[in-house]
Amino acid sequence: MTRDIFDAWTIPASVEVPGATSAALGTEFSVRSLSIDPRWLNGLADILIEGSSRLRKRKAADLAQILGIAGSRFLKEGDPFRTKALELLPRASGLSAPMARAVLDGMAADWVEDRLRGLLNNEFGTSDTLDGFVKQNGCQTMAIGADLCVQIVSGSVPGVGVTALIRSLLTKAPTLLKPGRGDVVLPVLFMQALAVIDQDLAENVAVLYWPGGSSDLERGVLDRASIVTTYGGDESVESIRALTPVTKRFVAYHHRISVGVVGSQALTSGLAEQAARDVARAVAVFDQRGCVSPRSIYVESRGDITPEAFAGYLASALEAIENDLPGGDLELEEAAALHQVRGAAELLAASGSPGGVYHGGKAFWTVIFDPDSELRCNHVGRVVRVEPIENLSDLINRLSPDKGHLQSVGVAGVGAELEELAEELGRIGVSRIAKFSELPFPPPSWHHDGGSPLRDLVHWVDLEEVGD
Amino acid sequence: MSPIGRVPEEFDVLASELEIHFSQDFTSRWSDLKFEEFALRAFNAQFQYNPVYRRFCEDKNAVPTAVKSWRDVPMVPTRAFRHLDLVTGDHSSVRMVFRTSGTTNTTLAPGRHLVSRPALYHASLLSSFREYLLPDVEEIKFVSLIPSPVDLPHSSLSHMVGVAADTMSSETHWLVNGEGVLNSIGLRNVLNDAALEGERILLLGTAFAFVHWLDELAGKELRRLPPESRIMETGGFKAQTRNITKEQLYQSLSTTVGLEPHRIVNEYGMTELLSQLYESNLTRPNEIQAGHTPPPWLRVRALNPTTLEPVAENETGLLAFFDLANLGSVCHVLTEDIGRVIDGKVHLEGRFPNAEPRGCSRAMDQLMASSRGTRR
Repeated sequence: MTRDIFDAWTIPASVEVPGATSAALGTEFSVRSLSIDPRWLNGLADILIEGSSRLRKRKAADLAQILGIAGSRFLKEGDPFRTKALELLPRASGLSAPMARAVLDGMAADWVEDRLRGLLNNEFGTSDTLDGFVKQNGCQTMAIGADLCVQIVSGSVPGVGVTALIRSLLTKAPTLLKPGRGDVVLPVLFMQALAVIDQDLAENVAVLYWPGGSSDLERGVLDRASIVTTYGGDESVESIRALTPVTKRFVAYHHRISVGVVGSQALTSGLAEQAARDVARAVAVFDQRGCVSPRSIYVESRGDITPEAFAGYLASALEAIENDLPGGDLELEEAAALHQVRGAAELLAASGSPGGVYHGGKAFWTVIFDPDSELRCNHVGRVVRVEPIENLSDLINRLSPDKGHLQSVGVAGVGAELEELAEELGRIGVSRIAKFSELPFPPPSWHHDGGSPLRDLVHWVDLEEVGD
Repeated sequence: MSPIGRVPEEFDVLASELEIHFSQDFTSRWSDLKFEEFALRAFNAQFQYNPVYRRFCEDKNAVPTAVKSWRDVPMVPTRAFRHLDLVTGDHSSVRMVFRTSGTTNTTLAPGRHLVSRPALYHASLLSSFREYLLPDVEEIKFVSLIPSPVDLPHSSLSHMVGVAADTMSSETHWLVNGEGVLNSIGLRNVLNDAALEGERILLLGTAFAFVHWLDELAGKELRRLPPESRIMETGGFKAQTRNITKEQLYQSLSTTVGLEPHRIVNEYGMTELLSQLYESNLTRPNEIQAGHTPPPWLRVRALNPTTLEPVAENETGLLAFFDLANLGSVCHVLTEDIGRVIDGKVHLEGRFPNAEPRGCSRAMDQLMASSRGTRR
């Protein structure tokens, strides 16, 4: 078996490369990381900050164009960057090859010029506000990006790092990105693609992986950053927050969960199977690792198709999807948790509780019909829970305990009550309501966890009428 | 002493036979045949007299006529103890209830293990305790940083120490109370007296309790304990206040009380299993790092996380236990712990956050952490 070794970094050419060490990531893949110390990393941060004066002379719209050219290479069949990404992703992220393709297609769709220009316009009205003062609301105003944006991602969803990087570069911020352990490949390949087109721009970015929780390393760069973004579990976000000086803008994407709701209008004999297929696909993409992955599906009881029957449809759909989007590998602890929840669900069913469980044996997909909310847990590997609800306001009660961690809600068959429901969901912290088919890949301009993807990364300076 | 209810005679006969074997038959390694025979009889009983487990097995087509090896007996995940009372036999025969602690994952209810055959449980725990902690002496002074069973009646760890103390201690000092508060002065006096009088002791505690105590001592070394003293340590190493490796803790303990590191024995147990595994370094000091040894009536396998088939010797997998002491509940238990099995012994590699580093020891960690918090 050949073991690929991937160099998990890109740094400006003027920075001296220290030694590197390899670490296995799965059975066939090793990642080489630079052996860095705080002094080296601080030096790198200083060099990135020095570059900010060159970067701020670029036009934001031009940056969107160049980033879009680099990004589009990941969509074009036969392009060496796409080929390389498709080759490495399954080994680096644990996704199956067809899944890696689906994930790359979904993520990279937002990395093209049209979408990026759209994002700028959505966020700022005109990207000119990033290039100089613009008259807005009766006042001259300008959006200024960070001298250094430090982005720390811990997680295993591929593509998150590139999206993060593009966002900060669009605001003209030199960027230091630490990608998640399962997401080291794409940011490095993206930077290589960028360097081919625009070496100068690429000089403003460093992508480096180091093991999370290295506070000695992190403290110095957090001190030098003007904006810090973190993506990850509550604990890792909390620890970065604790290290970040109070004067810094801190953008946190902490642990989030998504759910789904299937209303009675989708629960007819004609529509329920399609709804189940859409839900199954949202469950399958990312193998339930994404914050957009729906962990629980709340199904209205008053449809023609019962919630229990819907769980059966969902099981059939997940089984079918194994053919075109097979599940990936689970880490040992994820597999351990899967067997625990499956076995517990089987025993509960055997005890005469109204619940039930369907699963794919060696395939990881598992549907737990859980009317008594007994088997709530953090699901991995295509485990999804189906819970009946009396009506849509019942949904709000069930979700309220997760307030603070809710993100997206997939919907089908909700009908006229949708807008009212959306507002109520918003009030308990949900930031996005979407069709199940769109759930895995939000549009670039989405209010990510309720914030603004670019506006959160700038500060505004207002020039009032001075009268000189 | 026969249990109340409709539990048939053959089940009692099996329990009595096992009890005798647990009490008398520790030293010889049981033959595969002997273990198999008992295991299949136990499965038969559990299939017949535990209706929930029976349906669970029937759904897997694992009925007694089809199951030819204990390895094919359906496994119950430890998580199931959080949802169900898995009693084999009549519920009125339940004599004790042990609880796992809640975890940091608040969506999970704590689990519990209902014990209907205390005699069998006690026979198992006493034999192992003696074998690995008191192989050379009849009695010893117990100095416990684990709260007493009176203070924590639902902790299987407290119960174990209490039962062992009833038969093997010359004197017992309980130095952590039910609120998790350490009696530091009492502890220092007891240790000082033991050192001065040359009286060997057994010091027992969770890793966390020891870390807490060592933090209080702040590097101060105590009088050397008599060299035949010993320490039982249990629980996880991801303590709640600071992380410390097992090696660091043992070194620090060893220096503080002046005992050789091989006098510290790690116990590995969980509320869901009524037998315990121990490191054998007290009896075989040359075998440090030789893993945790199960009693002859417990077998352990490491399983492939995808297929749940056994992995090869010395390969890492999910740990599954078949514990005959669990006759009154379910014997075959799948855990979330990972490790390797070499020559029947377990080399632990990880216990996951949702898996209890033994429920009660986690509960004690929380108690001690909160008691420390309130004192500041």
